[in-house]
Amino acid sequence: MKAEGPRGTLERGLRLGRLGLTLTGSYLGYQFQRLWLDEAEQSRRREGLQRNASRRVREELGLLKGPMMKIGQLVSMQSHALPEAAMAELASLQMQAPGMHATLARAQFKSSLGRYPEELFRTFEPEPFAAASLGQVHRAVSKRGERLAVKIQYPAIREAVQNDFKLLRSATLPGRLTGHAPASIFDEVQRGFLEETDYLHEGANIDFFREALREYGYLDLPRVHRDLTTERVLTMSFVEGLHIADWLRTRPGQGLRDLVGARLFEQFNVQIARVQALHADPHPGNYLLREDGRIGLVDFGCVKRLTPDVEELNWRLVSRSWLEGPAQMERVIGLLWGPHVSRPKARRMMTDLGGYIDLVFPRGPDAGVVDFGKPTILNSLSQAMRRAVSDKLTNPEFAFVSRAELGLYCLLHQLRARVKTTEVWEGVQQRDGGRKM
Amino acid sequence: MKQRRTTRRPARRPNAAPGKRAENKERTRQAILRAALELFSRRGFHATTTRQIARRARIAEGTLFNYFRTKEDLALFFFEQTLERTMAWYEHETRLRRAALPERLFAIIQQHLELLGPNEDFIGAVYLRALQPASRLNPLSLDALAIQLRYLRFVRDILAEAEQEEELPRFGELGPHLFGLFHLAVITHWLQDASPGKGNTLAMLDRGLRVATAALKHGGWNW
Repeated sequence: MKAEGPRGTLERGLRLGRLGLTLTGSYLGYQFQRLWLDEAEQSRRREGLQRNASRRVREELGLLKGPMMKIGQLVSMQSHALPEAAMAELASLQMQAPGMHATLARAQFKSSLGRYPEELFRTFEPEPFAAASLGQVHRAVSKRGERLAVKIQYPAIREAVQNDFKLLRSATLPGRLTGHAPASIFDEVQRGFLEETDYLHEGANIDFFREALREYGYLDLPRVHRDLTTERVLTMSFVEGLHIADWLRTRPGQGLRDLVGARLFEQFNVQIARVQALHADPHPGNYLLREDGRIGLVDFGCVKRLTPDVEELNWRLVSRSWLEGPAQMERVIGLLWGPHVSRPKARRMMTDLGGYIDLVFPRGPDAGVVDFGKPTILNSLSQAMRRAVSDKLTNPEFAFVSRAELGLYCLLHQLRARVKTTEVWEGVQQRDGGRKM
Repeated sequence: MKQRRTTRRPARRPNAAPGKRAENKERTRQAILRAALELFSRRGFHATTTRQIARRARIAEGTLFNYFRTKEDLALFFFEQTLERTMAWYEHETRLRRAALPERLFAIIQQHLELLGPNEDFIGAVYLRALQPASRLNPLSLDALAIQLRYLRFVRDILAEAEQEEELPRFGELGPHLFGLFHLAVITHWLQDASPGKGNTLAMLDRGLRVATAALKHGGWNW
């Protein structure tokens, strides 16, 4: 693996792309073509290369999006091969597909639903208003006058992903890439990928979250129109709101920013403690903010289900249970890193974590408002993550949640929100009668 | 669906005006085609006889031969007609005028596939035969020359426009021929495509055109 390195793999991928993967169905081929053809993307890449090192890692790995990327991600989690910054960059990568012109989007819609959009909607905008994982989103108005968002997937993505996996399995590539990747990893990754290509599955995710978050009236989730949804077309109600940068341009006051901040913080903790699933990668585009303080959640393509361990760990960390005695300490360490971790390293790490938790969830007489506008929390969390990586104390599940947390706090930092974090957190824990030990 | 109108087609009136006569002739031709397509899709191309087609179209078998000498002629007529309609459709799609070249070219082939779509089985049955050089259906045969020239001129005009707008380098007469071959290749792919909704063909068509136009624009294949 050393001799070839990711660079060799990359170049082989590019050569294959040249040989025709761009024409036959290959997801890798799509990525190659997208990067090569899209001039905006190219200049973005060039800029990115000059900007900083961690961005560069992402740009490099961007070429390997798709199965390669996900496998690389797994490998990096297991071997701790990449620095934290690179892992955060990796986490923000989404599956992408080339953009579709109006004629193709229309044809793809018909190929999936049997009729053209103008036959099924009152109006349909031929130009998309947003890019989505594997496709793009168009505005439409239903026959009854309801505003809709119609997500259309680039044709034959599913087949392309399957082809790539056939290729990956048949070649000696997997062995070389990972050294010891068992077949089960490929099965797992392929399953995840195919799930992401199935909009019916995404529709089911939306329904699940709508139900789970129903009592939080300030959240607005799309409603799926089943009759106009297939594996490749997802029709939902249109969710209003602005991306955070645009929303901040409307100059919301401190009170409103605090309110939105508290709500973002609350819904995140609800997802961890009660839903036990995270709705999406912590990408700012997945939250739509409004002037009345309501929050739209969109993009449920890559929902992450959490193990009950995450909920327990979160509860134990914030309530500082490990300070109550050696047995409790053992439990937290076990949840975090398993039974075989070096104890001195783990204890040192717990001290770091404790400091960080005191920052985010202050308690005692000085418990009160946490000002996310100050960079302290972001610095502390990324420091803890860096330390965890350098000490090889990471666990994939926990790393995922930490990155999501980092994403959330970045949002709160941008909002310069002040949040009564401990109070909000306790509210979430008590909502269903308190946690049973 | 439309067969009732077909079967009630009135006989030609002998004293009709010359313009009227041409119109009637065209109407009969279309009636025969509809009858034939229906039988082909129900019984298959090979199992259908000219006698059955004539009966279905409510004309004498001899009359049928005045219009089409063989079933292959019928197939050629159908194919030509879908191509004619595609070109006519394109002329009326004003939105496409403003679209980039890959989208315009995509729209042409996709619209053609749309028109072929309902008769896919039939096209599939005659397609291999059509690729034989001796076949009257062969796109390079003399019989197909007229439509072929119209098609090449049509594509050439589109490419010439793109050349003028410097979307493409000067490519001359070769362009339309290459596009025609690509068009045939896509139809072949489409006939074999078992993916849901024939999505693979859409992807291939899109990516093929994008790669080709981008390669031409960037000065060849050496990228």
